[in-house]
Amino acid sequence: MRAILELFGKSPFRPLAEHAERVRDAVVLIRPLFEAFVDGDWARTEEVYERISKLEHKADLIKNDIRDHLPRSLFLPVDRGDVLLFLRQQDRIADAAEDLGVLLTMRPTATPPELREDVLALVDAVLRCADTWFETVHELPDLQESGFAGPIVERVMDRIRAISDLEWEADKLQASLSREIFRHEAELGAVSVIFWANILRVVGVVANKAESTADHLRLMLAKR
Amino acid sequence: MTIGTAVLVVALLVGLYMAWTIGANDVANAMGTSVGSGALTLTAAIVLAGILEFAGAVLLGSSVTRTISKGIVETSRFEPTGALGADGPLILAIGMLSALLAAAVWLHVATHYRLPVSTTHSIVGAVAGVGIASFGFGGVDWGTMGQIAMSWLVSPFLGGLLAFLSFLGIRRFILHSTDPVAATRRTSPYIVGVVVAVIVLSFIYKVLQSRMEAPPLVLSLAAASAAGVVAAVFTTALVRNTAPHPGASSYDYVERIFALLQIATACFVAFAHGANDVANAVGPLSAVVTLAQDGFTTVAAEVAVPFWVLVLGGGGIVVGLATYGYRVIATIGSAITEVTPTRGFSAEFGAATTVLIASSLGLPISTTHTLVGGVIGVGVAQGIGALNLRVVRNIVGSWIATVPVAAAIAMLLLWLGRAVLL
Repeated sequence: MRAILELFGKSPFRPLAEHAERVRDAVVLIRPLFEAFVDGDWARTEEVYERISKLEHKADLIKNDIRDHLPRSLFLPVDRGDVLLFLRQQDRIADAAEDLGVLLTMRPTATPPELREDVLALVDAVLRCADTWFETVHELPDLQESGFAGPIVERVMDRIRAISDLEWEADKLQASLSREIFRHEAELGAVSVIFWANILRVVGVVANKAESTADHLRLMLAKR
Repeated sequence: MTIGTAVLVVALLVGLYMAWTIGANDVANAMGTSVGSGALTLTAAIVLAGILEFAGAVLLGSSVTRTISKGIVETSRFEPTGALGADGPLILAIGMLSALLAAAVWLHVATHYRLPVSTTHSIVGAVAGVGIASFGFGGVDWGTMGQIAMSWLVSPFLGGLLAFLSFLGIRRFILHSTDPVAATRRTSPYIVGVVVAVIVLSFIYKVLQSRMEAPPLVLSLAAASAAGVVAAVFTTALVRNTAPHPGASSYDYVERIFALLQIATACFVAFAHGANDVANAVGPLSAVVTLAQDGFTTVAAEVAVPFWVLVLGGGGIVVGLATYGYRVIATIGSAITEVTPTRGFSAEFGAATTVLIASSLGLPISTTHTLVGGVIGVGVAQGIGALNLRVVRNIVGSWIATVPVAAAIAMLLLWLGRAVLL
C-alpha cells in the first residue's frame, strides 16, 4: 500500500502558497515600520524590525523545506527550474522587507513633515502591488488542480498584468519622491538625503520583486 | 504418516501462507488510491477490502474445473507412464508445494520492502521453475511464457493510456468548465454509467467466464449497457440532492463527488481481485489435494476446486490484509497524500477497464502492474503535483526480478523436497 502511495511525491504547490503567506506576514509590517519611522519613534521602529526579521526567517525555513523536497527524480507538471526561480524571487520580497527594517533602524533620520504623507503613499502603493501578488498565489493549488490549464489561467494572467501596472505606479511615485527628497538637501544634510534615497530605493525593490515573482508564474503558465 | 499425507498437510499450510501474502501485497491494488486521496480511512478500506475480497474469493473464485499451472507446464508429463516413473504424481505434488512456497516467500519479501509485485507473475515464475527443474528447459511452454511477457508491457501501458484519457476527459469537461459544480452534476451520471457498464462487462468476462460458458458478445454488451443506464439514472437523482459546502471552492465539490466514485470502483476491484487472485494460491493447492485424493497414483488433466479450499484461500487473504494492514496503519501515520479523488479515480478506472479488455482478449493480466501504469498515466496528463520517479524505477526493477527469482526459489525448494522426501 505504501509503495502505491509513495508514487505520489510531495508536491511543491501548496508549500509555495504557504511560503507566500509567511512572506506576506513580514511585508504587511512595512506599514507600521514606516509609521514609527516617520513619527521619529526609534524604539517602536526597532521593535517592528525585530518582528519582521523573525517572520523572514520563518519564510526561509519553508523555502529550504521546499528545496529539500524537490529532487531530480520528481516528475512535476511544470519545469523544476521555474519552480525554484519563482521561490527565489518570492523569498526576495521578504528579504527586501527585512532590508528596510535594517535600514530604518540603522540611523535615526528625520522625515521632512511635508513629505510624510507622500512617503506613506509610496509605501501603500508598494503594499498594494505586493498584496495583489499574495492574492494571486492563493490560486496556485487550484491551478495545480486544474492541471495548469483552463479558464483559471486567464484569470491569473489578468492579475499578473494588474501587478505589472501597480509596480509601474509605485515606480513613478518612488521616482518623483526621490527627486523631491533632494530638494530638502539643505534642511536635512547630505548624509540624510543620500540615506533617504537608499530607503526609497529599497521600498521600490519590494514592488519589483513582487512583479518579478509574478513574471515567473507567467513563465510557468506560458510554457504549458 | 506417509510422505503423501505430510505433503498434503504442508501444502495446506503453505497455501494458507500464500493467501496471506496475497492479501498483504495486493490490498493496495483496490484500496491504495482511495486511502491516499482520503476517500476512505485506512481502517474502512481494510474492513471493506476484507469483506469484498472474501466474498469474491468464496463466491466466484475458480470453483469450476481449472487446468493446473495455467498451461505453463504440461502436467501429463508427470504421469506414472512418463519420464519420472511411478514417483511422477508425488513429484508434481511436491513441485506445486514448492511453487506455492516460493511465490509466497517472494511476495512476503517484496511486501516487506514495499514493492508492489504481481502475485500472478510470482506463481507463474515459480511453476515455470518447477517445470524447468523437472524436465529441463523443454519442460516449460515458452509460447505461454512469451504471452505473459507481452502482458508485462501491455497492461501498464494500456492502463496508463486509459487513465490518461479519462483524466483528460475529467479535466476538459469538469475542471476547466466555467461552473465545475454544474459540470459535475451534468457529467457524473455518464461517468457512473460507463463505470457500471465496465464493471458488469468485466464481471461477465473475467469472473463468470470461469464458472460457465461466456455469454455471446451482444448479450453481454446489452446487459452491461442496461446496467449502465440504470446506474446513470440513479446517479442523476442522487447528485440533485448534493450541494457544495458554503464558502468552499467549487473544486472541493468535484473532489467530494469523485471520492464516492472512487470508493465504488475500489469496492469492485476488491471483489474481482478476490475472485481472480485467490486462484494463485488455490490453484496449485487444489492440484495437491486432487493428487492426494487419487493417492498420488495418477495425474488428473483438470482439477476441481473444493469449496473448503476456497474458504481457506479467502480467509487467508482477509487475515493477510488485516494483520499486515494493521502494521501499515501503525507506520504510515496520516495516509493523505497529494492524490485527489479525481486523479485516483482516473487511475483506478484506467486499470479496471484494462483488466476487462485484456481478459476478453485472453491476455493474462496483473492488476498491480496496471494500477501503477494508471497512476503514471495521470501523472503524464499533468494531473499529479509530483510523481516520484525513483519509486517507479524500484517498482519496475522488482517486476523484472519476479519471474526469475520465484523460479529460482521454486527450483531450489523442489530439489530440496525431492532429496529429502524421495
